[in-house]
Amino acid sequence: MITSFLLKSLDRSIIAVVAILLGLAIAVPALNLLTAPDHPLHVPTYLVSLFGKYLTYALLALALDLVWGFCGILSLGHAAFFALGGYAMGMYLMRQIGARGSYGNPLLPDFMVFLNWKELPWFWQGFDMFWFAALMVVLVPGLLAFVFGWFAFRSRVNGVYLSIITQAMTYALLLAFFRNDMGFGGNNGLTDFKDILGFNIQAAGTRAALFAASALTLAICLVLTTAIVRSKYGKVLVAVRDAESRTRFLGYRVEHIKLFAFTVSAMMAGIAGALYVPQVGIINPGEFEPGNSIEVVIWTAVGGRGTLIGPIVGAILVNGGKSIFTAAFPEFWLFALGGLFVLVTLFLPKGVVGTASAYLARRKAHRRAADAERARDTLVAEPMAAE
Amino acid sequence: MNQTISQTKPKSLLYLDGVSVSFDGFKALNSLSFVIEPGELRAIIGPNGAGKTTMMDIITGKTRPDEGQVFFKGDIDLTQRDEAEIANLGIGRKFQKPTVFESHTIWDNLELALNRSRGVFPTLFYRLTADDKTRIEEILSTVRLSARRDDLAANLSHGQKQWLEIGMLLAQEPELLLVDEPVAGMTDAETAETAVLLKEIARTRSVVVVEHDMGFIRELGVKVTCLAEGSVLAEGSIDFVSSDPKVIENYLGR
Amino acid sequence: MYRILQTLLITLCLLVSAHVTGPRAADDLGALVSALGTAKLAELDDRIGALAKSGDPRVIPVLEALGEGNLYARKTDGGVFLTTEKGASLVLVDPLTGSAIGEAPKGELQKIKVNNAVRRAVRSALGGLTLFSADTGARLKAAQSMRQTPNADALEAIEAALAAEKDATVRKTLDEARAVTLLVSDRPDDDKRAAIKTLAESGGREALGVLTSALSSADASLKPDIEAALQRIEQAQVFWNAGQNVWYGLSLGSVLLLAAIGLAITFGVMGIINMAHGEMVMLGAYTTFLVQDVIRTSYPALFDWSLAIALPLAFLVTGVIGLAIERSVIRFLYGRPLETLLATWGISLILQQAVRSIFGPTNREVGNPSWMAGAFDVGGLTITWNRLWIIVFALAVFAALLFLLKRTSMGLRMRAVTQNRRMASSMGIRTPFVDALTFALGSGIAGMAGVALSQIDNVSPNLGQGYIIDSFMVVVFGGVGNLWGTLVGAFSLGILNKFLEPYAGAVLGKILVLVLIILFIQKKPRGLFALKGRAVEA
Repeated sequence: MITSFLLKSLDRSIIAVVAILLGLAIAVPALNLLTAPDHPLHVPTYLVSLFGKYLTYALLALALDLVWGFCGILSLGHAAFFALGGYAMGMYLMRQIGARGSYGNPLLPDFMVFLNWKELPWFWQGFDMFWFAALMVVLVPGLLAFVFGWFAFRSRVNGVYLSIITQAMTYALLLAFFRNDMGFGGNNGLTDFKDILGFNIQAAGTRAALFAASALTLAICLVLTTAIVRSKYGKVLVAVRDAESRTRFLGYRVEHIKLFAFTVSAMMAGIAGALYVPQVGIINPGEFEPGNSIEVVIWTAVGGRGTLIGPIVGAILVNGGKSIFTAAFPEFWLFALGGLFVLVTLFLPKGVVGTASAYLARRKAHRRAADAERARDTLVAEPMAAE
Repeated sequence: MNQTISQTKPKSLLYLDGVSVSFDGFKALNSLSFVIEPGELRAIIGPNGAGKTTMMDIITGKTRPDEGQVFFKGDIDLTQRDEAEIANLGIGRKFQKPTVFESHTIWDNLELALNRSRGVFPTLFYRLTADDKTRIEEILSTVRLSARRDDLAANLSHGQKQWLEIGMLLAQEPELLLVDEPVAGMTDAETAETAVLLKEIARTRSVVVVEHDMGFIRELGVKVTCLAEGSVLAEGSIDFVSSDPKVIENYLGR
Repeated sequence: MYRILQTLLITLCLLVSAHVTGPRAADDLGALVSALGTAKLAELDDRIGALAKSGDPRVIPVLEALGEGNLYARKTDGGVFLTTEKGASLVLVDPLTGSAIGEAPKGELQKIKVNNAVRRAVRSALGGLTLFSADTGARLKAAQSMRQTPNADALEAIEAALAAEKDATVRKTLDEARAVTLLVSDRPDDDKRAAIKTLAESGGREALGVLTSALSSADASLKPDIEAALQRIEQAQVFWNAGQNVWYGLSLGSVLLLAAIGLAITFGVMGIINMAHGEMVMLGAYTTFLVQDVIRTSYPALFDWSLAIALPLAFLVTGVIGLAIERSVIRFLYGRPLETLLATWGISLILQQAVRSIFGPTNREVGNPSWMAGAFDVGGLTITWNRLWIIVFALAVFAALLFLLKRTSMGLRMRAVTQNRRMASSMGIRTPFVDALTFALGSGIAGMAGVALSQIDNVSPNLGQGYIIDSFMVVVFGGVGNLWGTLVGAFSLGILNKFLEPYAGAVLGKILVLVLIILFIQKKPRGLFALKGRAVEA
């Protein structure tokens, strides 16, 4: 059952993207580790981490696309799920520092010693174990999404209202995580990580492995999302997006349908955050900034919402552009980003991938129509059977 | 009248008694009572604002009545259930404005409507069986859309969308079908075909048709209920109802 | 003639007064001061008391010197002098006249020794003495200090001062000081009861503290009175605290109302999620800054009028910008609210960066005109003028808008377009024109809000971002498409916020409010004052 569920997703374009991702997962680390720094194909470590970061962004955009593109739920809180996953990973990394912190406390992270805390709060227990942290990475965002979504969808909070309250949710979390007594490092967040699973987090080998892990995770999540979207459940999702009450009168529990997608999407965002944190080396409350969630929306929109490859392309395009732009003309990045928001909504509502595939489909249809016409010409004209 | 109704309750398919609802002081339904028997085809007429759509909203769980009883199959209280639950009990509804899933193909529209388990996980791992295929084929030919199965629903004409929606209702296999103005915006030929279609459907299930088109109702040739100001004005054959002076004054005469 | 008479009179008075009080008082005082030199440590207390009782201001420097250890007695004759150190010798000054006497080696003089008990006596004596100062401010300060640190010895001085006092404020403070002091003295219980009553009436945190400390040492017979008084004060305080919270809440609510009211129009009337709304507020604030800048350099006299000048300008500037945004972007997005959200967010980024590029990223200073500065008290409330004016302004804007929507033909058209765009259009209303004007109006109001907010917030490119989420909360909470909902929403959220703050802290209070709104929307997805009926649901 599961295999057929997954196999359904494998059409040509998805296979191609998965192949590219797997190729990258092998090629980039290899080019980084096995070539000399002066080799023309050498990929410096900072670029490995930078591309790794893009891949986690792509995963975040893919997660958003599942709910926005396919179910019409414009969540402005996905950065919050991303950040929660990131914090769960950050807590693991903090506990790995052990006695190597500036205060040398074997149990308490530096900021707790600084705040004069005597013991580890209960919610930090267990984060010294990787499996537990990994579980929390999906569980915490998933649970938040489940509870939030259960309330919101049950009472049929829709459209912009849902967007606004998801934004309020991430804003409340932002304020909460800024507080020192929440126990998550307040303003400064969690940083100064030393190692992950026993490997030095700064080492080129670890960076390369993290990149490979990001590419692999993205590939897996892409296959999974595709399978979801191409299943009958995926068709119901789209049905909810296009005609919610029709779906309801057909007997579907729209709130359950939405809740499942929302929760899965939040978990994927959490995983993205967990892969992001070790590659950038810090997580702080700034990640909850409402603006971040909106930026994810634009990555998805640029690539093409409601397409599976679009969000990946969009996230990489926009962030690549951002890296280049902020280095060349830092003053103008916000102008460019703002302009992008306006132009994409006005002129490219289907995004790059959506527009391209619509063009291809039109051409294909033209060709098929032409073929059919030719075929009909050769046959003796007969009235259609249906009449 | 109420007494006769309560006697008919056990064997009725749909039973409304004293249903009232108001929006911001406007009484949309005023102690509305009527009964639909199993296998009956019933037409409901009435002027705008008579409460026809509100009545459907109440039967399908979209609106809760302020007072009154709504029972399905004798003892299932519909006022306590929501849309999805009521749909799964076997009540299908067609909207006034044709509503189909425009970005799905005709086939997918029917597949979605098919009466199969509608939970998250059953749909996630659903596989189209041979039975389901045959059933969809059947419906496609019933609603005369076999040739267009792979087209997007958005590309259908208005009348074809109406039929597709009726087809989706059939796929749902309801015991009671509520059809809101099925021939609005249709050509005369399409209207006649729709009447045939509905009569065919009514052979196996109960159908309630809300319509303005008197010609169409005459063509159906069934019992007619006339609503006005939220309650039943007259009930009987089309000739009986259309000769009722109250009906003429309230509805036909204008 | 008059002048001569006046001069005569003054001379006469001077002569008489000098004759009557001058020499004799000087003699007495001289003796009292000299007595300090011969007194033993234990006797000093009484001597200081005697000096203080004279009530003569000339005693003040003597006591001050004593307290600071600068009062010396000459070994040879016991003469007492104020001294300042100069190398190995001391400069001597006559304690009462203040005239220099000369220098003497340190060995010839003996310091009048003091300990902490003496210093305390000096301090309270000094306090009592300033009660008779000619300066009202000094008297008030002395009375306040006596009220704060009651000393039974000062009681007579306070009573004397009270008898002579004319100024009402000082009298009231003295009265309270007397009551406070009386409680720690050995006066009869009846007097103390009266004092407790006085304190209970005056209320305030200080009275509470005094009475609480008196409770532990008081006689059993007095305790019930004190407890009753304490209760009364506490009740009064709860009342005034609640009042103050309401005031802060109203003030916050008015700010929310100002920020949200423009949004209520664009969101409620047009269904547009204008994320650039906060930036309109910000632009309004920067308009104020520019106006003040011009006034400061060219017409400083007009400064008090700066806000009045900025208000219409801000309305125009942001209104025109809003019009431009509507015509260039938003009109292509009607009926797609989520798209308007994205596009206007992009516009907000552009506007922020533009302001940052032009004016720099730091805060710009916007001054308060004189009529906006300061505060006044009403009972136990402190009310600042700027907050009061902002409340008045917010309500005025609200009333004007309500009038515009309900009583003018433009408003009628706007409402028609809200309720049924197609129908309005077929009735001959030019919907694009109405849309553009409505959006410009919403933006213009945001600009005016910016003028007001420039008075209480930092004027920086990020000004608007701080308001956007709160404003949306207000509109959603109050119910979309209903101005009264926005009014009630703004004030109730403001007050709720301020009532939560003392218990939860500012940040947690805000989080709580957000969570409450999220829960509230579950219950009433359309807000407090939702439009009902079939038309809205479709």
